[in-house]
Amino acid sequence: MSEQEKFRQINRKYPNRQATFFDRPHWTRRQFFEVVGAGVTASFLVGKASAAGPVITQLPVETVNKAKNVIFVLLAGAPSHTDLFDLKVVSGVTPDAVKPAALKGLSWPTGILPKLGGTIDDIAIVRSMRSHALVHGLAQTWTQIGRNPAAALGDIAPNIGSVVAIEKTPERQPSHVFPTFLALNSSGAAGPGYLDSKYAPFKTAPSASGLGNTVNQDGEVRLTAKWNTMHSLDDSLRVDSPYGKPLEDMNDFYSAAKGLMYNATVSKAFGFTAQDSQRYGNSGFGNSCLVAKQVLAANQGTRFIQITLGGWDMHQNIYGIGGDPTKGTNIFTLGKQLDDGLSALIGDLKASGLLDETLVVAVGEFGRTVGKLSAAAGRDHWQQQFAVFAGAGVKGGRAIGSTTADGAMTDDPGWSRGRDVTPEDVEATIYSAMGINWTNIRYDDPFGRGFEYVPFSKDDRYGPLTELWG
Amino acid sequence: MILAAFTIRRECNFLARRGFTLVTGAERVNNMRFRAGILYGFWALGAAAGGQAQEAQLPPGHADCTMFGPQRDRFVKPERERFALSATTAQVTHLRGTAVTMAVAAAQPAVVDPANYPSFIDRDVFGALRDAGVTPAPKTTDYEFIRRVTLDLTGRVPTPDRVQTFVTDTAPDKRLKLIDELIQSPEWIDKWTMYFGDRFRNGQRKAQVNMFAQGRNAFYDWIKSSLASNKPYDRMAREIIAARGTNSFNADEGAVNWLVGGRVTGGPVQDIWDQQTANIAETFLGMSHVNCVLCHNGRGHLDTLSLWGKQTTRYQAWQLASYLSHTDTLQTRVDPAIANLYYWSITDGVRYKTDYALNTTTGNRPQRQPSGSEKTVAPVYIFTGDKPASGEDYRDAMARSVTSDFQFARAAVNYIWLELFGRGIVNPANQFDLARLDPDNPPPDGWTIQPSNPQLLNDLAKAFVDGGYNVKGLIRAVVASETYQLSSRYDGDWNPTWEPLFARKMVRRLWGEEVMDAIVQTSGIPMSYTIGDAGKISWAMQAPEPLAIGGNFLTSFLPGNRDDEERRGDGAVQQALNLMNDPFVMGRTRATGTGATASLAARAMAGNNEQAVNLLYLTVLSRSPSDSEKAAAVTSLNSGNRQQKIEDLLWSLYNKVDFIFNY
Repeated sequence: MSEQEKFRQINRKYPNRQATFFDRPHWTRRQFFEVVGAGVTASFLVGKASAAGPVITQLPVETVNKAKNVIFVLLAGAPSHTDLFDLKVVSGVTPDAVKPAALKGLSWPTGILPKLGGTIDDIAIVRSMRSHALVHGLAQTWTQIGRNPAAALGDIAPNIGSVVAIEKTPERQPSHVFPTFLALNSSGAAGPGYLDSKYAPFKTAPSASGLGNTVNQDGEVRLTAKWNTMHSLDDSLRVDSPYGKPLEDMNDFYSAAKGLMYNATVSKAFGFTAQDSQRYGNSGFGNSCLVAKQVLAANQGTRFIQITLGGWDMHQNIYGIGGDPTKGTNIFTLGKQLDDGLSALIGDLKASGLLDETLVVAVGEFGRTVGKLSAAAGRDHWQQQFAVFAGAGVKGGRAIGSTTADGAMTDDPGWSRGRDVTPEDVEATIYSAMGINWTNIRYDDPFGRGFEYVPFSKDDRYGPLTELWG
Repeated sequence: MILAAFTIRRECNFLARRGFTLVTGAERVNNMRFRAGILYGFWALGAAAGGQAQEAQLPPGHADCTMFGPQRDRFVKPERERFALSATTAQVTHLRGTAVTMAVAAAQPAVVDPANYPSFIDRDVFGALRDAGVTPAPKTTDYEFIRRVTLDLTGRVPTPDRVQTFVTDTAPDKRLKLIDELIQSPEWIDKWTMYFGDRFRNGQRKAQVNMFAQGRNAFYDWIKSSLASNKPYDRMAREIIAARGTNSFNADEGAVNWLVGGRVTGGPVQDIWDQQTANIAETFLGMSHVNCVLCHNGRGHLDTLSLWGKQTTRYQAWQLASYLSHTDTLQTRVDPAIANLYYWSITDGVRYKTDYALNTTTGNRPQRQPSGSEKTVAPVYIFTGDKPASGEDYRDAMARSVTSDFQFARAAVNYIWLELFGRGIVNPANQFDLARLDPDNPPPDGWTIQPSNPQLLNDLAKAFVDGGYNVKGLIRAVVASETYQLSSRYDGDWNPTWEPLFARKMVRRLWGEEVMDAIVQTSGIPMSYTIGDAGKISWAMQAPEPLAIGGNFLTSFLPGNRDDEERRGDGAVQQALNLMNDPFVMGRTRATGTGATASLAARAMAGNNEQAVNLLYLTVLSRSPSDSEKAAAVTSLNSGNRQQKIEDLLWSLYNKVDFIFNY
């Protein structure tokens, strides 16, 4: 068989279904050798090749499959675990205003997180979590892509939300107009990696007036006239284009964009009232939580929402300038934003029944030093950290794992793997909760070596925290 | 306050540079201690406040240097080289000395003999098409060509006057003249400074390292002045690989930022050398697989990906990385009291004086342990067997070996080809397999020759070397070829498998910068961007990096972050939302209002409807409307408020796919 014939044969077997014109047809070397008989070495894996997409291999695992949606809150800057969800009272250091208390047997800073304390029955706290790295940008990316950004596939690894998007896009209905992966207040959110841009985070900042650029200065009537003029002049190029698929794809993006404009459902989900904003704490973070709730309630195809609350890098004056909680940005002021927004979100989701099918995750990129404060009255970088889970059947009112008396290290991991929880485990937990097999390996990555949803999952190095549901 | 701090930093930095070699032993220890503090965040501060000393390094064989598990991460020395690597990559014979190169650079004409290049490119491409029985697309019309080549070379759309003089010109060499005009324009420098800024990942802030705006700007100046003087590409590479100095002051030391960008935290210094080596291999040799073998042998990992890779060992990768083993990527705090204010230096032989040591157990890559008594690895340029000469600085030697390797030229021309055709001859362009490049020396059964047109790749590389690594000359040769001038329109049945044969030109979506500059230029309503202490610029393409402009409009066109996100050409919903509704566009469709007195829409108002349509089409789309387009457009102006209708027609053109794409 000539090279050309082999080429065509492979092309017939793996027809070109990808949108990107430039990169197609694309068959990986791995696929090529699978076809011509050299085989894939990982023969123990269960192969799931289909004409509809790339080759995917996976282990036969059981997923939790209780979450329809995920809200992923990134607490950027690394919040102090021993002042928040793993409170350790340090004599002569912890201010009275923290108001330590025991809720359901858990130490709790009622002076910082009073409202979240009220939702304690819905919250499970992981205290045995530990970060791999102590550099903000690196570790934030690590948290969002669930792997080492400096590793071989780090550069092309998608955001967890993009993997969810590519998995859940087939479930979209024709009537759905919202993006599958929405990123609120997250301009720096990790992107789609090597996946197509339609799985990228749709980034926007919440605004009372709704989604940006979904109205035209000239009004809907004139916009429609413009739209019609544009189509009358351009359809010969953008529909069945003689120049190829990228132009046809652009037409699809225009249709999707038009669907978001002058759409009462969009305005209702993305806009908000001053009263509601007040209830969520009247902050960018609070408004993001509010919009997230409204977007999920609209049920327009959004499945993964990332929200960022930054500012936790409190090297100085963590309890306020001069120890005054009202001065500067400190654990009390930022804690209030978190408390107002997240508690209202959980409360509203619960009231509407959406909490049963929505997993809420809040996690930072690492923790902060414990015990006494630094010379600058702050706390510096530390690996021990926390993660907060709620919804989708997670059993609340408890902590998984515990730390040593000062909070520096894990004392009891508190879960089946008997070790520290890592960002990779959180990633696997999210996939499992959504019914996505976290051991999937897609063989459509540009290196052709296979992209693992969770790194090393086929070696069972990382896996979901099923104890959250146990 | 930040500005003041930077001023202090500049002065301190200047002094530090002057006295750099005079740093005392005690200060050096302090520097090292500080470095350790930065490596682990602000841990040092914590320790000073009474915390417990604890190594915050990563566990051995920790998460994902590879995807393949720790059992394969064993150190293995090469049994034997089953393929002589020297057979797969030839050393460039006429090695050009530095002194000669400098002289050549000054005198080198920007344009090489036009007779040579186009003939061989077309001979190679059309020959392959003929062999495959594929009919190429027709040649571009003058309208198609002038818009395409102006965008590709300068990032701008042509002015309507230039379009008209071009299409009415009857000279047979008018396309060559246009190419020469464009390639000598200042806009060419802007566009290709942006391109090489992407290639060299010149960003202010990365996940692993902050170069500050000063460092980024210095590197930007270095790239820009290199292109402005048409510095030979091999000299650019040598200056980058062998850069020394501090990172943030002068354009002549701006290249230091490239090595600084390879800094890696959370591990031993070998991790940094490895990353810097991997960057050199990817950027200058098109070989990202070197990164793989810096963690583990190719066997068991790259078996089905790279014939070169599967027979390459980690030991060999260490030999390559050993060229960096005297290099110190040093962070110096301007004022010990200011934690987040520092600069970077690249120095050699001060802190690190021995060869690459096999003595690590933690970090980002699997442990490095000796086999037998050999505790260090000496530098070898594994592709040719070249080694540092006696007394030669290691990085000078590496720069010499890399730029005299024929693969250096192949990688360079392939990257440029990728940019101009949307697809490399070796694709992806960073995954060269050295053992599968030569059709006269074919790989064993089961492997195919990697380039889609190996003759073309070699001829281009050879011409690039013979032409003195002349970047402008290379680009000129490519765009002057008939191959480049094929239409992107294909009227018959198109088979996607013809794409690697370059049977037609592929369309590309404009860069965000190109979209913005095209709207500003064609609308006649100017723009001003403030770029920190770099001042104001009028064109997005002049920004030192895309994130310096940022904003929802530009970022929706996926310019990348020069760290872990590459520039992409994909579409997105937000691109459509922004083009339809963003004030940046809407304001530029206006015939009246702020800045609109000489706007395109205002000028269109002055003529009759047919003249207005012609003006808008020629200005925005660089072409005349077809008869049916003209009829539809004129009809749209015939009723209703004329000013609104003209503005709406202009809006329609800005939202047309033949505006958004280069075709």
